[in-house]
Amino acid sequence: MSGLFDLVMLLLLIATALAVAQAKDLVAAAILFSGYSLTLCLLWQHRGAPDVAMTEAAVGAGVTTILFLVVIARTTRREK
Amino acid sequence: MTVQVLGANMDYAAIVVLFCIGLYVVVAKSNLIKKLIGLNIMETAVFAFIVTAGMVEGGDAPILGPDAHAPFASPISHALVLTGIVVAVSTTALALAIILRIHREYGTLEVDELRQMDG
Amino acid sequence: MRERLAGALAVAMALPMLAVVTVLPRVGSPDAPVHTHVASRYLARGPAEGGAENLVTAVLLNYRGLDTFGEVVVIFTALAAAMAVLLAMGGQNDPSSRSPGANAHGTRADGSPAHGKPAHGEPMDEPPPASVPPSPVVTFIVRLVAPFIAMFGLWVIVTGHRTPGGGLQGAAILAAMFILVAMVLGTASARSLLPGRSLPWLQAAGPLAFFGVGLLGAVLTGFALGYPVDPALHLLRELMLVGVEVGIGVGGALIFASLFLALESP
Repeated sequence: MSGLFDLVMLLLLIATALAVAQAKDLVAAAILFSGYSLTLCLLWQHRGAPDVAMTEAAVGAGVTTILFLVVIARTTRREK
Repeated sequence: MTVQVLGANMDYAAIVVLFCIGLYVVVAKSNLIKKLIGLNIMETAVFAFIVTAGMVEGGDAPILGPDAHAPFASPISHALVLTGIVVAVSTTALALAIILRIHREYGTLEVDELRQMDG
Repeated sequence: MRERLAGALAVAMALPMLAVVTVLPRVGSPDAPVHTHVASRYLARGPAEGGAENLVTAVLLNYRGLDTFGEVVVIFTALAAAMAVLLAMGGQNDPSSRSPGANAHGTRADGSPAHGKPAHGEPMDEPPPASVPPSPVVTFIVRLVAPFIAMFGLWVIVTGHRTPGGGLQGAAILAAMFILVAMVLGTASARSLLPGRSLPWLQAAGPLAFFGVGLLGAVLTGFALGYPVDPALHLLRELMLVGVEVGIGVGGALIFASLFLALESP
């Protein structure tokens, strides 16, 4: 059962990373990266690492995504 | 036989794939912000590797409270990754500040245009 | 062309790494080398030597304390460098890239949404997004919940040596709360949350706390950053641990908050 959970999480991670790689809209890339961080946080919690999960949730899905969005709002929104 | 071993270590194999996706994004894309996101994907793949290396099957968090049972995950991996996450967000913030400055000075964030711009 | 080369490079790096993956010990096996050398000693003698039941905190602050000192200095240096880069940039947006009066975050003075038009000759692909004020439901909820989030962040910092948590986690939670308040209630009310003139000293609270505790440890045990092992002094050791955690937590939270404010409006 936990093997199935791991497999689904890892496939979700790879799919999100591929989606980030080919997204042309930078806001979509930043939000997808936030989803990637959230999936990682769930994976840490499943691996028995609550400290790392807490930090990854607050930092990855919180601070990093907001910093990206702030800078994208002040510069360009699409990549050429 | 190799496929069987890869199946047992499928977590490591998936992490290698993630790292290479991040590497592809850093090298192939020409927008600076997209490159930075690719760099973050590479960093988080490395953290995933370290935490996975320190886990024990059915293990518990390494916190010796009153209701913690025997196999524990390794605390050294968690400490390494905590330091790494904080350093990663610091370098991302600094890189974003530099990107903002580049956009102010040159008006573009595409590496190809920046390369043609100044001598 | 570059994409093909990058794809070839990614595949060329993946193959040796996958070959290494086949010889690694099985994921989750309890007799992998990572568990049998040093980690078993930490698990066996952690609370007695390290002074914390949360072994991750014991490793971070006691066994590998110098690494955490270096990390705290790295965060502070990142803030200093980002400020140096951004403060030399000058104040307002230059008028060629944004129509005057349009602001990506706030509203205009009369409350109408601000649509911008690209200036002539400037290759903007779409006008800046219309700014929408947050709805009263969101404002009310954030105003209601923010003190509880702050309390939770402080709790995570202070009891970091017994429960999952610690200085870094609490700093991240407090910084996330600050960013939430700044986005919903406006930058002005978020700035009023920050301390005034003592802000640079509080931002350096992480390295300063480590330095102070390191000196105290050197006086007590002869080693820099050495926590006393004597059971009679275990209250002092706990106080030193909590002091370092609070320093990292407060310093880290203020550094992240200042980074956000500097990026949003230098």
